[in-house]
Amino acid sequence: MRLPIQINEQSAEPLYHQIEVQLRALIVSGQLEEGTLLPSIRELAQTVKCSVITVKRVYSDLENEGLLRTRQGTGTYVAKVGEQERDRHRLSSVIEALDQAVTAGKRMQCSEEELKELFQEAMVRHYKQGDGAI
Amino acid sequence: MMEELREEAAIRFNGIAKRKPNFKLGPITLEIPAGYITAIVGPNGSGKSTLFKMALDLEKPDDGTVTVLGHAVGRSDDAHMKQRIGYLPEEPSEHESKLKASEKARFNSFWYESWDVNRYQELLLTLQVNDNLALGKMSKGMRRKCDFAIALSHSPDLLLLDEPSSGLDPLAWKTMIELLHRYMEPGDRTILMTSHIVEEVKRLADYIVFMAQGRVLGVYEKDELFSSWFTFFVRGEGLAEHKIAGIPGQCGVDSIGGSTFRITTNRAFDAEQWCEAEGLQIVSRQALELDEIMSTLLLQDQRGKRKS
Repeated sequence: MRLPIQINEQSAEPLYHQIEVQLRALIVSGQLEEGTLLPSIRELAQTVKCSVITVKRVYSDLENEGLLRTRQGTGTYVAKVGEQERDRHRLSSVIEALDQAVTAGKRMQCSEEELKELFQEAMVRHYKQGDGAI
Repeated sequence: MMEELREEAAIRFNGIAKRKPNFKLGPITLEIPAGYITAIVGPNGSGKSTLFKMALDLEKPDDGTVTVLGHAVGRSDDAHMKQRIGYLPEEPSEHESKLKASEKARFNSFWYESWDVNRYQELLLTLQVNDNLALGKMSKGMRRKCDFAIALSHSPDLLLLDEPSSGLDPLAWKTMIELLHRYMEPGDRTILMTSHIVEEVKRLADYIVFMAQGRVLGVYEKDELFSSWFTFFVRGEGLAEHKIAGIPGQCGVDSIGGSTFRITTNRAFDAEQWCEAEGLQIVSRQALELDEIMSTLLLQDQRGKRKS
């Protein structure tokens, strides 16, 4: 199975973090259902073009969070994610993304007002343009 | 803890040194972790192939010891250990040129207990080569593919690949990369390779060892290496060179006019935090390629030697 995970080599965000965020989103959003067998560590490393060390770290982090479980000798599976947990994870990834957007704005020396405006514009683009743009 | 680490090394070079009339290697202490792909990179003549030969007892170090798969190299009872190694040398052996590839394969099938003829045939098919031809009559790429298939057909625990893709066309190269990933799939196998091809190292390696002039300059985890080395363009009101030179991990500063500087850092994360704290703006950023990292390391190494 090929996971829709893409990395940006030009980002200063550590690789394991980029992969972890995307894989967590796939699980929490339900795109990967409970019981799905994930690619082997070497396989995912090959598709994402990173080292197995990075993938091992991602799998073990998500296992500690209870999103994955490893069965000795058979592989790594998506674990059962409770409703409550799903909500918590769902929002935490959004909060993190917004956080990053604000950081990027500050880096470019945007004022608070400017940022609010940009946020409003983005909301309009995604929710009000045409019907069902999202 | 130490015992455990020792167990996990597929190869241990322990203080090895070699003196030749025009070349000095070592002393080198280096562990190649089991279960991973380690790539040695470095300019020609940095001693990469000599390391390989020492691991195979084809060359003996003047000082130090080499341990391969838990077995001391150079003792007479090493036949069992050598069964578990596959080796693709940089240059094909002259004395094999008259042999057909199929004859070389047959010879190896006698020697390696775990030789798998089905696997061999499958590799030939995947690589699209015919083994019914004298090795010396083949094109460079074809011969490489045959030697590669033969090196893999006894499913070794340790694979030593010296410039594996030399002479391969882009399609064959891609096939080889895929075969090597598949070879590693069981999780307990080890590859030690050398390569001059940046993309090959990027696609295959878990660990990267930099070598130059017979010495190891450093061992790095690949992803960490690439996420640490960056070039930033930094701008700041009245920013002076002596100030920006203090950026964490600084490996070079160029003024590009005004109060903007182009800096190279090997601690990208710290450097970014530093810029933020100092109120400096990072205008653009670019990750360094492997060859750029290597040339910077070489430059630093030469500077360091001149100072001492």
